[in-house]
Amino acid sequence: MTEECFFSLFAYMVIGLARFIRPNEITFSGVNSTLPMLACLLAKQSYEFSFTYLNVAGGVDPEPAHAPLSSSDPILTQSSCSIFANEDFYDLCSRGGMDLCFLGAAQVDAKGNTNVSCIGDWHAPKVRLPGGGGAPVMLPTARRAVGWRTEHSPRTLVERLDFTTAAGGLYGLVTPYAVFEKKNGWLALKHWNPAVSPKEVRLRTGFAFDTSCATPGPEPDQRELSTLRRLDPDGVFAAGAGIRPWSKENT
Amino acid sequence: MSREKIVSLRELAAMIPDGARLALGGSFLHRGPFALVRELIRQGRCGLEIIKQSPGYDLDLLCRCDVAAKASCGIVALEGPFGIAPWYRKAVEEGRLALEEHSCATLAAGLRAAAFGVPFQPVAGLHGSDLARLNRWACLPDPYGSGQETWVIPPVRPDFAVIHAAEVTAAGDARVWGTPNWDRLMTRAAESVLITAERLVQDSSFSERPELTLVPRFLTRGAAVVPHGAWPGSCTPFYGVDYAALEEYLRRPEESFVLTHLAYAPEAASAEAPTVTQGGGA
Repeated sequence: MTEECFFSLFAYMVIGLARFIRPNEITFSGVNSTLPMLACLLAKQSYEFSFTYLNVAGGVDPEPAHAPLSSSDPILTQSSCSIFANEDFYDLCSRGGMDLCFLGAAQVDAKGNTNVSCIGDWHAPKVRLPGGGGAPVMLPTARRAVGWRTEHSPRTLVERLDFTTAAGGLYGLVTPYAVFEKKNGWLALKHWNPAVSPKEVRLRTGFAFDTSCATPGPEPDQRELSTLRRLDPDGVFAAGAGIRPWSKENT
Repeated sequence: MSREKIVSLRELAAMIPDGARLALGGSFLHRGPFALVRELIRQGRCGLEIIKQSPGYDLDLLCRCDVAAKASCGIVALEGPFGIAPWYRKAVEEGRLALEEHSCATLAAGLRAAAFGVPFQPVAGLHGSDLARLNRWACLPDPYGSGQETWVIPPVRPDFAVIHAAEVTAAGDARVWGTPNWDRLMTRAAESVLITAERLVQDSSFSERPELTLVPRFLTRGAAVVPHGAWPGSCTPFYGVDYAALEEYLRRPEESFVLTHLAYAPEAASAEAPTVTQGGGA
């Protein structure tokens, strides 16, 4: 895996997430959410439209000097004119005021429900995972929730979750190889990474999905790519993202 | 100037008995009362229950030293490239730590029930989550007839809320810079409040801007002045995360490393009496 190829998978994910951000909406990135944090900063610095960017550090449209390693770092409040703290943004989401929030997942099913709790039985877990954080409340209450998974495989995109941490269904899901979007209550393929084929995406996905509207893409534009290079000048985020490229070994 | 609430870190930690339910302030690597957590380990405390929406280093270290018996939390991680907190994960997988898994907002609802003095607190969302079944939470119909069903969470009443503040007065008023995370709610829900703070400042600095005070003195049982008390985490605007120290903590699994780590921590060296400053930011 070359560094360039790594960057392209990383860029595919960050830009794929950023493309879900819409003009004039309220968008939120939370804890343990490096890629969405970068997507929000990228959108702020690359797109012509304005939107409200809230984050878990309390920032409201911050302009941080650099992107921090921790997506809850107080650096994400630099230039913010207010602190919109944890209770504030959960309550905002609860009352239907959050247009878009980004939520992590270890496993995602065909409806876009997520498991962030455990692999195996919850009471005797094979692997204990971090936990859902805000997801059980935010996934069903946000107007749109978009998830991401750095490993696209049948063990992460599954027919059946080991545990349903959060239900309500993601609106979108971004992996290094595909972008899914909700259609009639089910995740449907919207884009596949042009480096692979839709057939490969199907083979590497544990649940069945509709492909009737799918196109190759999204093709990043130069502005997005140069902003991302600026946000990650030393490739620290690309290397630390934990993206698992497809190879024969992890089919 | 009297120092009626100010005690040493050692004395502050000694107020917490074995088996206490502790709400810890801050989030992940940011503004946690980490010096106090280390002092609890030095004093050999055991059987603690940790209540915190998003613990990280604190709960991980307590698990590493077998000091925590139970945790009520929403997400546990070190963030960024470090991922999950490894000793926390091991403690849960080996059954040494009892976990009450929450969403951050359901834990907030439990703390709100305690703070509001009601037997339960409604919370939005949660529909379809296995957490509701796991925790045997109840779902109630709207008594006013909207037809909506709402999950309700029982009170979470910590024995102590322990927060790390930027500044404290001798009487125990405390304030933070940047986000308060869940600290305000924790200090209202808990039986007692203990404060560690970067520095001690005069009352006049607080009375000039009383609206900036997060914890009023009458809620505070004790406070200690602990510069760098959130190390290896951040305390804005004074210092950021010490990633080198965190990497070493993760890289060295040997048992003896914990002693090295505790001895290297900033509070291990400074035992002198705190100085009073004017306050008002860094």
